[in-house]
Amino acid sequence: MEGLSHQRRLEKLCRRGGEILGLRTEVKVSWCPGCGNFGILRAFEKAAGRLVDEGIPKGRIAVASGIGCHGKISDYLRLPSFHVIHGRVPPFLTGLKLANPDLIAVGFVGDGDGLNEGVEHMIHAARRNTDIAIFLHNNSVFGLTTGQVTATSPKGAKGKSTPYGNPENPLNPCSLMLVSGATFVARAFAGKHSQLVEIMYSAIKHRGFSFVEILQPCVSFNDFWKIREEIHDVREAESVENALRLCRDKTACGIFYREEEETFEDAVHRINK
Amino acid sequence: MFDFNVCIAGAAGDGVKEAGEILAKLLSNMGYRVFVYQEYESLIRGGHNASVVRCSEKEIHSHRYYYDAMICLEDYVFEIHRKRLRGFLIHDSEFECDFEPSFSVPMLEIVKEAGMPNLYRNAAALGALCYIAGLDVGDLAKIFVAEYGDKAEADTEIASKAYEYAKENCRRVLTVLRISEGDGKVVSGSEAIALGMVRAGLKCYYAYPMTPASPILHYLAKKRFALAVQPENEIAAIMMAIGSAFAGKKSAVGTSGGGFALMTESVSLAGMAEVPVLIVLAQRSGPSTGMATFTAQEDLYFALNPAHGEFPLIVASPLTVSDAFSLSATLLNMAWQFQTPAILLTEKHLTESYESAEFDENEVKVYELDIFDSETDGIFPRYEITENGISRYAVPPAIVKANSNEHDEFGITTDDAEMATRMYAKRMRKEDLIKAEAEKLEPYVCIRNGSDTVVTWGSNYGAVVEAAEELGYSVAGIRFLRPLILPEFKGEVVCVECNYRGLLAGMVEKEIGKKVSRILRWDGRPFTPEEIREALSKGR
Repeated sequence: MEGLSHQRRLEKLCRRGGEILGLRTEVKVSWCPGCGNFGILRAFEKAAGRLVDEGIPKGRIAVASGIGCHGKISDYLRLPSFHVIHGRVPPFLTGLKLANPDLIAVGFVGDGDGLNEGVEHMIHAARRNTDIAIFLHNNSVFGLTTGQVTATSPKGAKGKSTPYGNPENPLNPCSLMLVSGATFVARAFAGKHSQLVEIMYSAIKHRGFSFVEILQPCVSFNDFWKIREEIHDVREAESVENALRLCRDKTACGIFYREEEETFEDAVHRINK
Repeated sequence: MFDFNVCIAGAAGDGVKEAGEILAKLLSNMGYRVFVYQEYESLIRGGHNASVVRCSEKEIHSHRYYYDAMICLEDYVFEIHRKRLRGFLIHDSEFECDFEPSFSVPMLEIVKEAGMPNLYRNAAALGALCYIAGLDVGDLAKIFVAEYGDKAEADTEIASKAYEYAKENCRRVLTVLRISEGDGKVVSGSEAIALGMVRAGLKCYYAYPMTPASPILHYLAKKRFALAVQPENEIAAIMMAIGSAFAGKKSAVGTSGGGFALMTESVSLAGMAEVPVLIVLAQRSGPSTGMATFTAQEDLYFALNPAHGEFPLIVASPLTVSDAFSLSATLLNMAWQFQTPAILLTEKHLTESYESAEFDENEVKVYELDIFDSETDGIFPRYEITENGISRYAVPPAIVKANSNEHDEFGITTDDAEMATRMYAKRMRKEDLIKAEAEKLEPYVCIRNGSDTVVTWGSNYGAVVEAAEELGYSVAGIRFLRPLILPEFKGEVVCVECNYRGLLAGMVEKEIGKKVSRILRWDGRPFTPEEIREALSKGR
């Protein structure tokens, strides 16, 4: 940093050679080689890139991430961002969106982050229909803390904190969000790029609370790349009840359910007019 | 000098608080300075509620221990107050009270005749008081109308019937004279805090219900002076405030000790990411749930050091209701000026008491931070390392990156030793600026009466000032607690606080290097001038 002017430092961050990078910074990605997060990052870049192509300024796409491997995504995106604390992405984005409804609010959360530490926020953001998109990087393990079980780890799973098997039952993130009132619920696989791009794009475009569970293999502590063969698409359900049935199948991917409803921000601003 | 202290006591659901407010507004309308202390239990119906209304020709910021009059709406509450009553008693004829002089008024009968529910006995009580204390029942009716509008008719009718009854059956004990045309307004500490924040540009207020901070939320929600939002818990409240501030809007949260405990991880986040947020911490008796509706000053050290890591934090406590207006505005300003969290540390005795306070809107300047909010192609150097530690604030659509991790000048995560050394120091340098600013902002209020000084903070100030003046003590009311800036003390120092150890006293001792004596209470009750006078006299 010493001796580098801001301008030069800035260029260093945003250019490679003579070319300005797309939505990426030049920060070196520190995920493990083969991590599912690469797929999520690339897919998001494409989905957000599409928004930019549609004329939305980059600065209007504000992202937030929690704590865990997924959280590093903030550093890698040349977008306004806040790498917040564990579990608190939804309320942060709710406050952001209330203060400036013109911003497009995108949250990246982990399974430990969003479903252990901050599960209450996910439920309340869903029930309020806050206009934010939440992408859950679900690898069913605490990776950055070197392998403990999370709220989505199966019963019996062995981890550092459960060497003889996990005594708890996992929760199904999509079911939880459906019953909480999320108006857009989908599941995708980090390794199925084009579907992931489409779903992320649709989730961001959806007005209201949108939730996408992204199955994200962790090569170091929970490598489930092999489920690729089992991933299959489902068609959007007409009702929450049917969507609940669909998402029970853990390898079913696609948009389970969506509906239009007044957003929280619209309701707050309408009441306070 | 005329000074009149009335206690209205009854059960929750008897309209004790409302009666206190109405009487206070009547006395304010007659040109008096007014203070109202509200005491209530954590229950909805039954139990014991009291409203102590004091008026005076001089400036007051406290009620008195001894009552010149008492209105009793339930028989069982009388014993709680008997030893304090040194004047006359008015009670419902439904029960007997062994006290002289006392006036029995058929409040329930009058209310029943008018076909109204029991709650309206408070209007009957005020009507009777008007005759016995020589107040104009017509003026009372005007206050009812101002307060309840079209619904004031029943109150007015019941009050005048009780007035007529008292005229026939009771005697006039005194005549409270109108001294001027007052505005008939009283303001609670909560309203003052809300108005102060709004004055300084508050746009978003987030709070989870908790006594004694909730009235701020209620007031802002009702008045719609700012977005007032009740999230799922206190963690969400402060994270929403941080989100709004990140988007460029002045935001605040309000809570009490338990809720603040939940917020602290995010306070540290605001310090690290240099996000301005104002926290109103209204203390109540603890530890844990404590006595939920009673006052205390036990959270001083907690407020001064609430969270992990070191970061600049501003903590100040208002002395009176009007001070609450200016200090809450000042702290919201300072949070933005220095891009760091600030805490308005107050207590139940301030947030839920009423005063006939005036606010000088012009006295409070609004600090408008120069915010960069244009689109950028590259990342904005939000955390530029500057000499004074202040970097330019930027909000989206600028590409601005904030981080809970240690970061470089662009907000990118780092664990580089050199960058960490410099960035940490940059943040901490703001403490010097904050101190310099606090010194300019009346960090304490001093009244010179004698060589020995009574030091206090928060709402004890009103009671302390009266006792100290009578006994010839100087007074130092400390407003800024972090940074702590003290006046020079010549003689002995006595510290008055609502806690067990003497928390401010401990800090003063450390600063001045000598022992400070203490007048303390931790029973949830606020100090009165009489109690402080007695304690000070014992020390002599």
